Amino acid sequence: MATITTANFKKGNFIEFRNEPNQIVDFQFVNPGKGSAFVRAKLKSLKTGKVIEFTYKSGETVEELPILTREMQYLYKEGDSYVFMDNFSYEQFNISEGLLEGFIKYLKPNDTYQVLVYGEDAVGVRFPKKVWLTVTEADEGVKGNTASGATKTVVVETGAVITVPLFIKEGDKIGIDPETGAYLERG
Amino acid sequence: MTTWQKLHADPQLWQRYVIREHVLHAIREFFDRQDFHEVETPLLIANPPAESYLDVFETKLLDRNRNGKHAYLSTSPEVPLKKLMVAGLGNCYALTKSFRNMEMQSSLHNPEFTILEWYRVGADYKEIMSDCESLLLYIREYIVKKQKKPGDTSPTLTYQNTVVDLSAPWEKLTMVEAFKKWAGIDFVQFLEMEKAKEIAVKKGYTVSADTSWEELYNQIFLNEVEPHLGRGKPTILYEFPGSMAALARRKQSDPRFAERFEFYIEGLELGDCYSELTDWREQQSRFENELKELKRSGKTMYDYDHDFIEALKIGLPDCSGIAIGVDRLVMLFADVKTIQETLLFPANELFENA
Repeated sequence: MATITTANFKKGNFIEFRNEPNQIVDFQFVNPGKGSAFVRAKLKSLKTGKVIEFTYKSGETVEELPILTREMQYLYKEGDSYVFMDNFSYEQFNISEGLLEGFIKYLKPNDTYQVLVYGEDAVGVRFPKKVWLTVTEADEGVKGNTASGATKTVVVETGAVITVPLFIKEGDKIGIDPETGAYLERG
Repeated sequence: MTTWQKLHADPQLWQRYVIREHVLHAIREFFDRQDFHEVETPLLIANPPAESYLDVFETKLLDRNRNGKHAYLSTSPEVPLKKLMVAGLGNCYALTKSFRNMEMQSSLHNPEFTILEWYRVGADYKEIMSDCESLLLYIREYIVKKQKKPGDTSPTLTYQNTVVDLSAPWEKLTMVEAFKKWAGIDFVQFLEMEKAKEIAVKKGYTVSADTSWEELYNQIFLNEVEPHLGRGKPTILYEFPGSMAALARRKQSDPRFAERFEFYIEGLELGDCYSELTDWREQQSRFENELKELKRSGKTMYDYDHDFIEALKIGLPDCSGIAIGVDRLVMLFADVKTIQETLLFPANELFENA
């Protein structure tokens, strides 16, 4: 394990908190009225998926967990978890819903993803910068409305609802930022 | 997208910026009706009040030959308002901008923010508590009136799906009571450094040789106390340790504590009030200690405002005052989670590609 300080915190980092593996979901700097700086982190337990908040003294050290990335194919949903298969060893891993959260709506069966592995367990998916998905439902853009910045919503093949420019049609392949859900470009 | 682009694409968004207008107008109306003077205080100043916990913005004032003098952006209107009270102004307020550096990367801070400070002559901090209660109710009514919802008479606001009852009296907890209630700590014992370390270690916090008392206090406060404050009803937290109130008067009956309070709504800290320190010797020695602390912590150095000490020598009338983060008030009334959503030009947008 490597020791890092709060200055090295990044969203998505895996750290030890009270002897349990956790992921930093979010963090921000806190300056209470009088005094030094603090860092308030949202930590997600890799065991329970539960999110808690903890405020560190700025500069405090924590242990960063060794996380490996393995390429896996997404197979199917099973109860509250999602089943992935290692492309090389064919070993199967379950990732619980809580650990995938916002990414679930972009998961497409048989596509390959970068799966994060801690010890024996798959603990999440590294979000790609962009996912490509086909539009399955789209209304015609309102005729005559050419104002720049005008938008509408469409549904893509995985069921996610995306806000897009008016020119996007059913059948288009669009690039989406899975972290924000924002439309990026047409393929 | 920047905020103006978002507004261009979605006119619905104007709503929350209209709330900002209402909040500003309501504040002015509230004080004007009580005959408070509104004054404009300088933003560009030569000597900030010595406050070691703040980082100031430094710039240069040039003469015609480009000879420079150090200049700073004001961190609060407090000192100029107090000088004016020495000069005989009476009850007064400023609704203005203030600047604090190193406050990016936070959903509750913008380095340039709107601050409201008011001072009541002859009042102690308990009267300011009532002012806060009345002001928030006044703003609520003003907004309801502007939104033409005359049937809406319940003294509440809804913030992030929680109904907050603004009616007076608010919940009032001393620091001692709050630490007992939420952290199970005897705060009077905790005031001693050795005891504080022991308590923090027992609770599982990291304590090293250079951890200060104030860090231990804040870490426990932020983790165990603050999240519970102002839930469903505003909380006034009062009687702070004397070491944490640079410009406040000590309590006469117990000088370990200062007459200071903060108030919270839904975990948001909104205002900070003191019974103002009027003793110039005490003020001067506190400023000097603050400067030492500034130097020790490697922050931007400056000289404190000696003219303020001169003013105190003439005599600041007994008074109490409070500073309120107006952007945070707007967050509450506009029901948004971040300060950036209340600003037409948040700093993170301005400096994103700079």
